[in-house]
Amino acid sequence: MIVEGSYPLPGSPDVIWDLLMDPDVLAKVMPGTKALSRTAPDRYEGTMGVGIGPITAAEFELTITLTDLQRPASYTMQIDGKGRFGFTRGTANVELASEGVGTVMRYRADLQVGGKIAGLGQRLLDSVSRMLTRQGLDALNRELTARLT
Amino acid sequence: MTAGPYFGMRIPRLEDAQLLTGRARFVDDVDLPGLLHVAFLRSDEAHGRLRGIDAGAARARPGVVAVYTALDLGDYWRPGPLLVPPPPIPGLVFHTATQVPLVRDKVRHAGEPLAMVVAESRYLAEDALEDIAVDLEPLPAVTELEAALEPGAPLVHEQFGTNLAAHVHQVKGDYASARSKAHALIARRFHYDRGAAAALENRGVVAQWDVRAEELTIWDTTQAPIPIRNGMAELLGLRESQVRVIAPFIGGGFGPKIMMFYPEEVLVPWAAIRLGRPVKWIEDRRENFYATTQERSQIHDAELAVARDGTIIGVKDRFLHDTGAYDPYGLTVPINTQCTLLGPYVVPHYDSEFTAVFTNKPIVTPVRGAGRQHGVFVMERLLDLAARELEIDRVEIRRRNYIQPDQFPYDHQILFQDFRPLIYDSGDYPAALDKAVELIGYERFVGVEQPRLRREGKHVGVGVVSYIEGTGVGPYEGARVTVEPSGTVRLATGVGTQGQGHFTTFAQVVADVLGVEVGQVRVSTGDTREFNWGTGTFASRGAVVAGSACHAAAVKVREKVLGLAAPLLGVAPNDLVLAGGRVHRRGSPDQGITLGELARKANPLRGAVTPGTEPGLEATAYFGPDRGNAASGVHAMVVEVDPETAAVAIKRYVVVHDCGTVINPMVVEAQVQGGVAHGIGNAFYEQLIFDANGQLQNASFMDYLLPTALDVPTVEMAHVVSPSPLNPLGAKGVGEAGAIPTGAAFAQAVEDALAGTGIEITEMPLSPGRLFELLQAAQGGVG
Repeated sequence: MIVEGSYPLPGSPDVIWDLLMDPDVLAKVMPGTKALSRTAPDRYEGTMGVGIGPITAAEFELTITLTDLQRPASYTMQIDGKGRFGFTRGTANVELASEGVGTVMRYRADLQVGGKIAGLGQRLLDSVSRMLTRQGLDALNRELTARLT
Repeated sequence: MTAGPYFGMRIPRLEDAQLLTGRARFVDDVDLPGLLHVAFLRSDEAHGRLRGIDAGAARARPGVVAVYTALDLGDYWRPGPLLVPPPPIPGLVFHTATQVPLVRDKVRHAGEPLAMVVAESRYLAEDALEDIAVDLEPLPAVTELEAALEPGAPLVHEQFGTNLAAHVHQVKGDYASARSKAHALIARRFHYDRGAAAALENRGVVAQWDVRAEELTIWDTTQAPIPIRNGMAELLGLRESQVRVIAPFIGGGFGPKIMMFYPEEVLVPWAAIRLGRPVKWIEDRRENFYATTQERSQIHDAELAVARDGTIIGVKDRFLHDTGAYDPYGLTVPINTQCTLLGPYVVPHYDSEFTAVFTNKPIVTPVRGAGRQHGVFVMERLLDLAARELEIDRVEIRRRNYIQPDQFPYDHQILFQDFRPLIYDSGDYPAALDKAVELIGYERFVGVEQPRLRREGKHVGVGVVSYIEGTGVGPYEGARVTVEPSGTVRLATGVGTQGQGHFTTFAQVVADVLGVEVGQVRVSTGDTREFNWGTGTFASRGAVVAGSACHAAAVKVREKVLGLAAPLLGVAPNDLVLAGGRVHRRGSPDQGITLGELARKANPLRGAVTPGTEPGLEATAYFGPDRGNAASGVHAMVVEVDPETAAVAIKRYVVVHDCGTVINPMVVEAQVQGGVAHGIGNAFYEQLIFDANGQLQNASFMDYLLPTALDVPTVEMAHVVSPSPLNPLGAKGVGEAGAIPTGAAFAQAVEDALAGTGIEITEMPLSPGRLFELLQAAQGGVG
């Protein structure tokens, strides 16, 4: 599954970068995040719950490892989520480019999904992941706006 | 009750009262004191290396009785049997890799079982699955047939160094030289994708160990209880007589319930003995999508060489066959494809080569049709294309190529899946075609109706296709017939029954031989205590092989009746008549004796049973045909396609079928109707869709579509009867016939309805979505 897009954010890439590296902010902006902590400089672990069609409360133990950190321009996330309803794993690339007074964030995630969520929720995976991404980015936008004003 | 003779009559099914009033026992109806319940932990990954399983927390959960992993099985852990070894075809390559009870080192398809939880209830067992921690290293998966054979592809079984599971080449004549004489060569690539059997009842196993009797009873949704009994006895180190397998009423078999020695099937009895308590496992629908075998991905590159008048010169076919993660059922499916492609046609030159491929997908074994539909699809599509190119009518090109009624036995000069030469025993293909064409009103439809409807803007089309179904293969079945003093006739046979009407058709066969009412014959099938020699229900062989054994046993009992009654009634045996449950002097119905009374006399409490004779009126007999026989038929359908939405409505469906002598037309017609429903599903609704990682994308009936009653028309049927010389009944099989040519008929009809759009259908199954895409592509992408 590919999730990709771009999103305009207020503030410079440096400001956004700091927010994106802050587990408390991440926990707030990643929909369904129940807990998230930094367990190593480039590693975050936590729990996330989402509903996909007939599976109403899929909970994942989530590990995110950051690689290729090019502050403030880009980084890559290795995503590894496992739970009783299946798994998701893959990579996501994030690019921050300053544009005018703000920043454009470009993202592209290539995710494998397996288990019950793949077998039962397939039809809805694309729309759910788009919706979650949009929710996350909107939340990030709100957080930025709050900090910048 | 209707009076006999019953052979050939529409006797209402004797088992229906029990089934319709809910008194029939299915495996899940078995409830025993102290029954434990099983749930399996299945792999989410399609391919991965197992590094460890920690079941400690699950074992500690209250209500959990045991948790087993591969390591806990000890010596009991071993790969399953190779059920069907490959036939003796020169140059054949076959790599054996059979399924294992629980994954020990490597997961090879999603849904493979990793651990077994036994608990006081299924709820508790399923909850405990979540306590088990699995350390599994994911590996890249192979799912595409061609990619799997590329160098460097991830290997499903490392020990072979390749994903090639088998390679078979069968040749008749010399296609390479013959093709140079062709007027036209039609070459295409054809795809056929996977579907599920989707039986109404999923699989299930209940096992009980009687510690005092030292006997194991297994209730199993198997099509082959006797091989399961024999195999389980061997696996568990018991005498065969210590194991009783009961295959009670079963809600549909369709192939995957054959003697698979599925993981669940071998583990549940083992756990019952080990725990000293009865144990039950019932497959749920989601498990069924992963844990029960499937069919039928193949990719064909086929070429037809034809003369100017449409005469077939030869066919060359190269195909890839997806066997899934393991190949326990050998080559039955692809060899069926290879053989069935030849159909009812004279094909002087045939060059067919296939490669079976391991993939990280559930195992492929026969599902109703068992590879035959692929062969029919390829051949019928090639003929359709040739007819168009040569401007010959579709029906006519088939007629011109039929094996003629005076050409039987007809030898195709290759080997069939039963290891016997592919020789057709009998048939009358032109007669079936004529009947089908007349029933569907082909000439009028094509000449008048279709042009008229087309002018009204309606896109209607007709499809007419032929097929052969190799049925009734050996090795053998048996039956025992017993006349009780009450006059009831007991008939026991070993095949399992999954809704085919065996309780009725076998009774009809026996009732006529003994001159009793059909309702007096009580049939027992699928219980190894009742009968314990035989193989099982597969390859449309129940009526042919077990039916012939029933007949043979009844004939032996009849001989006993005559031998006993003759001196009693003071006449020669051939002056006796069996009728109305009695044996009497010919011409003097009042001078006779009931069979029940005779049975009593044959089992005396005083006096003597003469040496060289046997007590009672009972006999056992066996029947094994020399080789399989060739059932055949023609399907014709009319469809209407909405080119805007690509929805297809099947307006009419005609089947003219030849299954030799018909025992019960109602049962045959029901089989055909059910098969057509299955075939329509395979043609337009049902497709198991896997992603590149081997994840099934539609593992529920929300997304895996089955045709409903609204999508399946009532089939209009007619019979042609070409009795088989290979068995005393003259019967041929019919169980799979309805499902075999449906895709080919559907493709032809849809293409006909969309004539002028340039659409060409070379794949199965279709769906409205896929048909829409094809239509758009054909019209240059203009929607």
